[in-house]
Amino acid sequence: MANGYAGKILKVNLTTKEIGIIDTAKYEEFGGGVGMGAALFWDLAVAPGDWDLQDAFDPRNVISLMSGPLGATGVPGGGRTSVCAIAPETYPTPLFHRTSFGGRFATMLKLAGWDGIVIHGKSDKPVWINIINDKVTIEDGTRLWGLNTFETQGEITSHVAGRTRFGQQWHQIGEDFTTARPQIVCIGPVGESMTRVAALIHGSGVSARTGGFGGVFGSKNLKAVSVIGTGDIEVADPAGVVDTRLWHTRNFGRAVSSPGAACCMPCVNADRKRNSYYGGESMCADEYWYMGPRTGGLGMGGDADVRMRGADIAIKWGICTWATKFGGAIELPVPDAPAPFKGTVPMEPGMGWYIKYLYELGILGPGKQIDSYPLPMDQWDSLNFREVFCDAIARRVGIGADLAEGFLEAVQKWGRLEEDMNSGVLRLPAWGASWHHCLPGVTWAYSYIFMSGDPMWHGFFILSGGTAEELVETMTKKMVPFDDDPIMLSNSWKGEEAFKTGIYSPHKAKMLAWARRFAGFYNESMSICEMMLPNFIARSANGIAGPSPELEYRYYKAVTGSPNTFADTIEIGRKIWNMERAIRVMAGRHRDQEKFAPFMHMPGATFPIGGNRPVYVDGKWSFESQNDLYLDREGVEQFKTHFYRLEGWDVENGWPTRKTLEELGMKQVADVMAAKGKLGG
Amino acid sequence: MSESRKAESSKTVLRRDFLRSGGAVIAAGTLGVGAFEITAAAAPQTDAAKSYPKSTGYIVYDSRLCLGCQSCMFACSMTHEGRANPSLSRIQIIRDAPSFTKYPYDVVMSVCRQCVSPLCVQNCPTGACHVDEANGNIRRIDQSICIGCQRCIQSCPHKPRRTLWDSAKKKSTKCDLCADAPYWSEKGGPDGHQACVETCPAKALKLVAEAPPQLDITGYDVNLAPPSRKMGGPGMGFPKTAPKPAAKEGA
Repeated sequence: MANGYAGKILKVNLTTKEIGIIDTAKYEEFGGGVGMGAALFWDLAVAPGDWDLQDAFDPRNVISLMSGPLGATGVPGGGRTSVCAIAPETYPTPLFHRTSFGGRFATMLKLAGWDGIVIHGKSDKPVWINIINDKVTIEDGTRLWGLNTFETQGEITSHVAGRTRFGQQWHQIGEDFTTARPQIVCIGPVGESMTRVAALIHGSGVSARTGGFGGVFGSKNLKAVSVIGTGDIEVADPAGVVDTRLWHTRNFGRAVSSPGAACCMPCVNADRKRNSYYGGESMCADEYWYMGPRTGGLGMGGDADVRMRGADIAIKWGICTWATKFGGAIELPVPDAPAPFKGTVPMEPGMGWYIKYLYELGILGPGKQIDSYPLPMDQWDSLNFREVFCDAIARRVGIGADLAEGFLEAVQKWGRLEEDMNSGVLRLPAWGASWHHCLPGVTWAYSYIFMSGDPMWHGFFILSGGTAEELVETMTKKMVPFDDDPIMLSNSWKGEEAFKTGIYSPHKAKMLAWARRFAGFYNESMSICEMMLPNFIARSANGIAGPSPELEYRYYKAVTGSPNTFADTIEIGRKIWNMERAIRVMAGRHRDQEKFAPFMHMPGATFPIGGNRPVYVDGKWSFESQNDLYLDREGVEQFKTHFYRLEGWDVENGWPTRKTLEELGMKQVADVMAAKGKLGG
Repeated sequence: MSESRKAESSKTVLRRDFLRSGGAVIAAGTLGVGAFEITAAAAPQTDAAKSYPKSTGYIVYDSRLCLGCQSCMFACSMTHEGRANPSLSRIQIIRDAPSFTKYPYDVVMSVCRQCVSPLCVQNCPTGACHVDEANGNIRRIDQSICIGCQRCIQSCPHKPRRTLWDSAKKKSTKCDLCADAPYWSEKGGPDGHQACVETCPAKALKLVAEAPPQLDITGYDVNLAPPSRKMGGPGMGFPKTAPKPAAKEGA
């Protein structure tokens, strides 16, 4: 087998209880992670042609949990697990989506001898999958059904680890030993009842949130997957892996300034908590799901311990905090924001925030037009409310039955979709996905419409440092094969410059294409945590150049020994991107659907943080504060044409052409698409 | 010493004597079972006990600082074995994420103590497990003469045991402070650098020259936090614990 891979992928059919093995080598051309997950989804769910890909809860939905080749090799942050499937959360229909989670699951999966696991079918009763090295069993999950995610993991740990005492004994498996605990990904009650707002939970707070894949587990009667392994992973250059890591941490590593826990195995960040609450590994959306009494400003407000108790509830129930946001970490003045906000916009006004908005309007409440039973609306800003909220959704009681079907689905049922979309109150940029830093950095925003919502990639989130010229020169050099076009980094958004050199120009299309290719390969398929890398801009003795992408490439080379150049890896990223595109097109994607929600075209669209961007105006570079940026409809349409053309997709419908696919070695994909009349001309 | 501690100590010595006197190999199922708090140094010396020169290097740690990331484990197996295998790491970081043990017991750092009175060395029938006088008296295993009897594993008095079993080679192995780490680019051993120490992002590991107190398990778990670092604070849930002893400088 190739270096960095375990060599085989586990395939489980929950209908027939058949357990099979797929040779990883067949999919190595797609790298790993999302690349392999998408290719597997194509082969198992799309190519057979017997499913319209419309229902996330259909037993034919194939959900994959994939590692990347850098996982279980000591590459920091390289141990993420990618998840691919038709997602229940997206609006107006379930769409092919991918997400990922950190922690130790993928690493342990590889140590057990598996690069990933694909699950399809539907069990006739609750089950969980138990992987102990090569031994895979489908266990009765009846006793686990109804338990929260902490209880579930506790029960499974006891089952697998038996009487081995934590921290004091080695656990014997065959002839080998480990001190590790089984690593488990599971769902809580919110996932069991097949809601569209359920997350996959791992450990004490790690979760795969966007997409609502917890509901897919629930639809398959699958409570959990547990894995423990004692094997190893071969790498091409063991000393090179360790040397690269030391070069990374000694020169560019983030200093660990306060004690905490790492998420991934291994990592170099202490961004999780070693605290006394169960949700200790939670972060961002989970931690901001309940803020407690705010103290205002950017200081997050409230008491961190109280926030963690909110995260504890969310993780325990297995609810997707991304789909049910209560407003996020902060709220800031946005003077030009749509009128309903009265000048102050929360960072992430999602489902939880919206029901309060309707309550204050007098539309939602006990006995109102929208009956809020059983939610105690007068206790909205309390932990008790969060518990009742989860319980109502999990049991589909009262208003919980509407909310369980998804945010915009509920709004539509209540007859408010058109009005609240057009007023700008519903700040969900596209496909029903919640707001996440998507302006003024337009590559993030564009990714929303071309994918299935939030790309979850912070690579270009902050683009500042040095002078504007210095920044652009430094960045452009890194962006092979577009390293001859610095104009792509200009974020000009006003007047003619926006169309000529700015955010609607053919230049910007290259920046987006590069972002998708880089992220698709290194973050989503090599599975390097995107919260750690890339690091393009960093202050050092040598200027502002950060270690990326050289660092990621060095790790890739040391682990795999591949002869690929960096440009080759970006080309694999393009291949992965086109595989994702092919799946979306086969599920019905068309240019006409790739649109933003109305608020993105209104003043106040940008949430005002991270607003400084380089702009190229009248032949000169400068930084511009762009907290007032919003998008022009015609500009976005022109950008779509530029982007489709650059990607080799039909500009009329956004479908990949045969030429493009065959150039990427995807002739069979082109043939399937042609047979269904979905190939671009 | 309390009566109960005396009794426990006595029990340990009896078991140690049994092992050293060539008792039958203990079944694999008992691996890892041994005295928890009482180390060899605390146990009364018997006539058969040898005196060994002390190691000139010891790895100490601060379990409060550990991120539980297990970087050290991957670095250890990678530099020694040329492959990533946490089961073959001579340092074990055990994190109880699924079962949610509360801080500070959620992470257990298991580091070879280079014991002053090394039972692994004493009980090795072939001399494979030995004191390497050419490398600062570190306690290490020469796999070329290891017969795989596992005595060193069974006699390690710590929990979990610090000596390892490599099932592929049918040999034992243990921490050598990177004196013989074929894939380690830097100079190892007690006078050099250790892969685990160097890769720890939290600086929760440190090499020191002086033997830490051998009385109980806390001797190696020291305060490595820089003075500026606050160990408590909102969100971290760090209880106010008694200050740890500072690590003694050296090495």
